[in-house]
Amino acid sequence: MNAIEISGLSKTFKGKRFTRVEALKNLSLTVGQGEIFGFLGPNGAGKSTTIKTLMGLIEPSAGSACIMGIDISSPKARRRVGYLPENPAFYDYLSAEEYLAFVGTTFGLDPELLAKRSEEVLKQLELWEARKRPMRSYSKGMVQRVGLGQVLIHDPDVCILDEPMSGLDPVGRALVKEIMLDLKKRGKCVFFSTHIIADVESVCDRVGIILKGELQSVERVEDIMTRGVVGYYLTLRDSGGGTTELYVPKDELSGALASVRDQGGEVTLIEPRRKSLEDFFLDIIKGRNG
Amino acid sequence: MFDIVRITVKGIFRDRVFHGILMAALLLPLIPSISQLSMRQVTELSVTLSLSLISFILLLLAVFLGGTSLWKDMERRYTFSVLSLPITRTTYLLGRFFGVALFLLITAAVLGFVASVVVTIVAGNFPPDRPVVWNNIYLCVLFDAFKYILLLAVAVLFSTVSTSFFLPIFGTISAFLVGSASQQVYDYVHSSSGQVLSPLVRQAATALYYVLPNFSAFDLKVNAIYGVPLSTGGIVLTVCYLVVYAAVLLSVAAIIFSKREMK
Repeated sequence: MNAIEISGLSKTFKGKRFTRVEALKNLSLTVGQGEIFGFLGPNGAGKSTTIKTLMGLIEPSAGSACIMGIDISSPKARRRVGYLPENPAFYDYLSAEEYLAFVGTTFGLDPELLAKRSEEVLKQLELWEARKRPMRSYSKGMVQRVGLGQVLIHDPDVCILDEPMSGLDPVGRALVKEIMLDLKKRGKCVFFSTHIIADVESVCDRVGIILKGELQSVERVEDIMTRGVVGYYLTLRDSGGGTTELYVPKDELSGALASVRDQGGEVTLIEPRRKSLEDFFLDIIKGRNG
Repeated sequence: MFDIVRITVKGIFRDRVFHGILMAALLLPLIPSISQLSMRQVTELSVTLSLSLISFILLLLAVFLGGTSLWKDMERRYTFSVLSLPITRTTYLLGRFFGVALFLLITAAVLGFVASVVVTIVAGNFPPDRPVVWNNIYLCVLFDAFKYILLLAVAVLFSTVSTSFFLPIFGTISAFLVGSASQQVYDYVHSSSGQVLSPLVRQAATALYYVLPNFSAFDLKVNAIYGVPLSTGGIVLTVCYLVVYAAVLLSVAAIIFSKREMK
């Protein structure tokens, strides 16, 4: 069973002066269990609309979607999901501890397990010291971490995160990546949207690129990186012991290696030069726009 | 739903609006002194002032807490996280409603207790001609709370259709004013002096009387102040009216809210 199955999902909003805005066009996508899926796209591409539709916050105009086999129209579909909204806000009169207790109780956690999980999560997210303070006194980064806390409190099978790195400092971002990789290790599915391509590169198994409401491409990050090799940097040591660096286009590597060997040189290092995921992303955007 | 009710009550206790409105309750201890301005009916005046102050405080709470509860959640984007929990929107809406309703009942109970202390003090110093009928006073406070719970349902309904706080607040105040006067208007148009009005106006007034909530049905102040016996049938009918009317309002609110896009 796939963790997330989206089939022909479309969403049209009513715009001003009787216009209609197609925010999502026939989106189909599956995300497996134990997979980290990055959902990439420029502002207004439809990332948040997709996520809000999955979470039942927006009703789709057409199509359907299931989370862990349960149709999203039922609140039961959200039982095994942890969701972090974009720029999250929580009842600011509650403390982080109270809010996690509220979320945990809603998910039916028994009090003993809830207390244990709450302590673990608050410590993991470095909120333990501030746990009793009302959230109105928290910084943006701390609120974001509470958001991650309420995602993790009930140990969901599917984590849907809308811009999870937003508002976090580098340490916080590293922590989020660590959490994502840990979730994957434990067989959980992580579906997250982001603008930050480096984050996708470092943690994702697959990436989906959405533009103007249409899914443009779904690729394995590893494949993009392999396909994206355009050449190699060779570090050579000549017979005199000196080192030089040489750039060789992708197709000329074999010839270059043979040539170095013939000349009595030694290749000490081969480093691929690849088009980054950013280049791949920009190529798609430019191709679509131009 | 209980979790939503609990955090709603907790939120109100920590809300600045509640703290501000609570300041009005500080006037209750002044009532014994103010009541002495009446030379003859000191106790009756103390009962009147106490019940009116309680009613005013409950009105403010129902309008401001009821009118802003849902709106604030949407405005501050709390709904994104709460509605993504495995609960239905109806559960959330009813949780918010019952949270504020419970709070109104708690406030009514506390203020009713303080008022009974105030009236006891006044009655001890200025014995009234008629004995104070405590049951009537307690029932009057309870039915006042019921009245504002019905008004709260109106406020919740307005909140589900509005994107600003203007409609929930001012719509609720308007509904309260109209609903408090509808009985008098109905009585007038059906009296002999009301016959001078055109049939269309009389029919419109009658239709509005049946459609709009009738808040004057909950007013037991005269019974409380003068110890006039209460009709059991009337009380049961009023409770049934509250239950049915609030259920209709909340059902409509739930349908509208379930369709609302959380963009």
